[in-house]
Amino acid sequence: MDAAASRPAVVIDNGTGYSKMGFAGNVEPCFIIPTVVAVNESFLNQPRGSVKGSNWLAQHSAGVMADLDFYIGEEAVSRSRSSSSYNLSHPIQHGQVENWDAMERFWQQCIFNYLRCDPEDHYFLLTESPLTPPENREYTGEIMFETFNVPGLYIAVQPVLALAAGYTTSKCEMTGVVVDVGDGATHIVPVAEGYVIGSSIKSIPIAGRDVTQFIQQLMRERGELIPPEDAFEVARKVKENYCYTCSDIVKEYNKHDKEPSKYIKQWRGIKPRTGAPFSFDVGYERFLGPEIFFNPEIYSSDFKTPVPSVIDKCIQSAPIDTRRALYKNIVLSGGSTMFKDFHRRIQRDVKKIVDARLHVSDTRLGGEIKSQPVEVNVVSHPIQRFAVWFGGSVLASTPEFYAACHTKAEYEEYGASICRTNPVFKGMY
Amino acid sequence: MLLPTAQARETYLSSIYSGCNILLDKGVELDCQSVEFDDVRYHIQVSLRYPQFLVLSMSLPTPPPETIFVDGLPFGAIEAIKAAYGVLVQILDPPKDGYNLTMRLDLVQLPQDEELQYDLLEKVASVREVVLGAPLRVVLKHLASKRVPPDLDRLIALVHRPRESFFLAPEADKVTVVYPMRFNDSIDTVLAISFLEEFVEARRTAGLNNAPPCFWSPSPPQVLEEAPTEALSANSGFVTFVIYPRHVEGRKLDRTVWSLLTFHAYVSYHVKCSEGFMHTRMRRRVESLIQALDRAKPEGEDLKKNSQNKSSKRLSLMEIRNNSNS
Repeated sequence: MDAAASRPAVVIDNGTGYSKMGFAGNVEPCFIIPTVVAVNESFLNQPRGSVKGSNWLAQHSAGVMADLDFYIGEEAVSRSRSSSSYNLSHPIQHGQVENWDAMERFWQQCIFNYLRCDPEDHYFLLTESPLTPPENREYTGEIMFETFNVPGLYIAVQPVLALAAGYTTSKCEMTGVVVDVGDGATHIVPVAEGYVIGSSIKSIPIAGRDVTQFIQQLMRERGELIPPEDAFEVARKVKENYCYTCSDIVKEYNKHDKEPSKYIKQWRGIKPRTGAPFSFDVGYERFLGPEIFFNPEIYSSDFKTPVPSVIDKCIQSAPIDTRRALYKNIVLSGGSTMFKDFHRRIQRDVKKIVDARLHVSDTRLGGEIKSQPVEVNVVSHPIQRFAVWFGGSVLASTPEFYAACHTKAEYEEYGASICRTNPVFKGMY
Repeated sequence: MLLPTAQARETYLSSIYSGCNILLDKGVELDCQSVEFDDVRYHIQVSLRYPQFLVLSMSLPTPPPETIFVDGLPFGAIEAIKAAYGVLVQILDPPKDGYNLTMRLDLVQLPQDEELQYDLLEKVASVREVVLGAPLRVVLKHLASKRVPPDLDRLIALVHRPRESFFLAPEADKVTVVYPMRFNDSIDTVLAISFLEEFVEARRTAGLNNAPPCFWSPSPPQVLEEAPTEALSANSGFVTFVIYPRHVEGRKLDRTVWSLLTFHAYVSYHVKCSEGFMHTRMRRRVESLIQALDRAKPEGEDLKKNSQNKSSKRLSLMEIRNNSNS
């Protein structure tokens, strides 16, 4: 085995909202930064028609400079705010890479400027959503092997890693339903013995970004004075700091009305353009934000199925012999499951659905056969926010990992098509 | 922005140290490993029992035979650490298994003033420069006072990458620094050569008159006559810098040491960037070609439909025949 295998692998989990990166074997990622690239497009918009002689050279080098002039992560956000020549681009939309140029730049900066390692020295573990088309996987492979010359690459499926993360914290359990609520995509993925049951994967068009948008909308409707250019960011911070899951909306409204001083929070900020301070109240949106997962009709008119019943449908469509085990191990992953009591609410609601079904079947059978109660258990652990990354870190520190990787030699022999097949649909390793 | 490897320092390490205060207050257990370019590895530990001590172990790239290592460290490293950190750091001997150096940071000793504290932590974060750059610093300090360092050879080899070294030839009024450049990939080699040629060319522009003179040659320069032959196999040629006393005056010394130490990383970063840049261009070109193809489509579309129908019909006919045969 080559020298690169003696060094810890690099684990990068690129999410729609945040990217988590670090070295395998650690408990926490080194960096969690927003997946954004600020590109300077002021050069590109120059008129192209009047290109003549030496002017062409000047324009060409200006174009080159524009290509090199970019920032990622927090820096990108602050740059785009302070100057108008930078435009924010989100390379990942709804869990899929949409802009490969931006993605390549993002990786480049992640590797060289954040992790500060030589990509030729390390195996890489990247992640993707279960619904990524094979072409995207090929693109990823191409960029990793051609541009960065990585010695080996493994592209893992996020929910399986999330399960693997729970694997070390509790017991050896590779069967479960992963409820992955990220910033841009929500997937419910049943996994049996490390195999993804591809046909039963359910997607929900509501994710973390929708919660933010909903909060923004609520605050706007109430007439809070928030600078419009900053509204989304403020809403995101309100979501991250103050939101929680309630057990019952009506009761929660009453609570808020009875004791406003206890429940209504004050937010203070500074307007980015003028520097003037502003403040506003954070009220019902604290519990209404996360509520869109349980009562989607308050947010969208297209999608009306609450998350717990999607989970139930998902399990009901899985093979019958795995269903009890699946109900027993519902694993949460992703930043948007971090709301307080989110797991309790899911557990209660799923249990309700299951019990109702049992009751119906019991009455139909007329009490002759009593069915065994189904155990519903939602697992929640403190590392939930980067559970996928942690799972990747665990997986990449096992010796089997290096054997499962696509190597540079394989890539040169067969081309990018080696990345087409996704091993997790065939098995864990 | 364009040269982050040369400027931004140990970002990850500094992010950990900036959490030091939180550490002191709460007493968190910490155990993490990190690797940097050129195979420098770190291991940071904080135990619950002694929350004020942070143990930092560091392993260096494997030195080639021509370099001088004293007890697993470049010469002058211990003195450099003591000079840089003072009471904050205690060197533990022997170092942790598999590492070259283990230090214990006493977080109680951190200065109270926030700015001073930040400066010191920043220095701890660039421990790599302090340790690996110690010999370089010794030589350049002598240069600043226009002397030849005593009791050193005429040609000094310093490790900067696993099993690779660069060379210093100190004289009273100048120090010649030679880097044999090696790359694994053939594409990288080509890009690196053209990058270095451009690099030398760029030095000649008027704005950079005060920068150290810089040369590139495909064969080993004169200075390296005494160097062992195995150290002279470089597939991307040799880069030579001549450092004069004016480059190491006062505060410039730190920057010069850092830039010289990370020169290879700097080149390799730019090689990777240009590769990425070319890919972007290639993708854009392919897209524009596809667009041109799309524009040319409308006439051909009917034809395509017909042919599709035909093929499907033929297929079904064949199927019928097959079925009837069987």
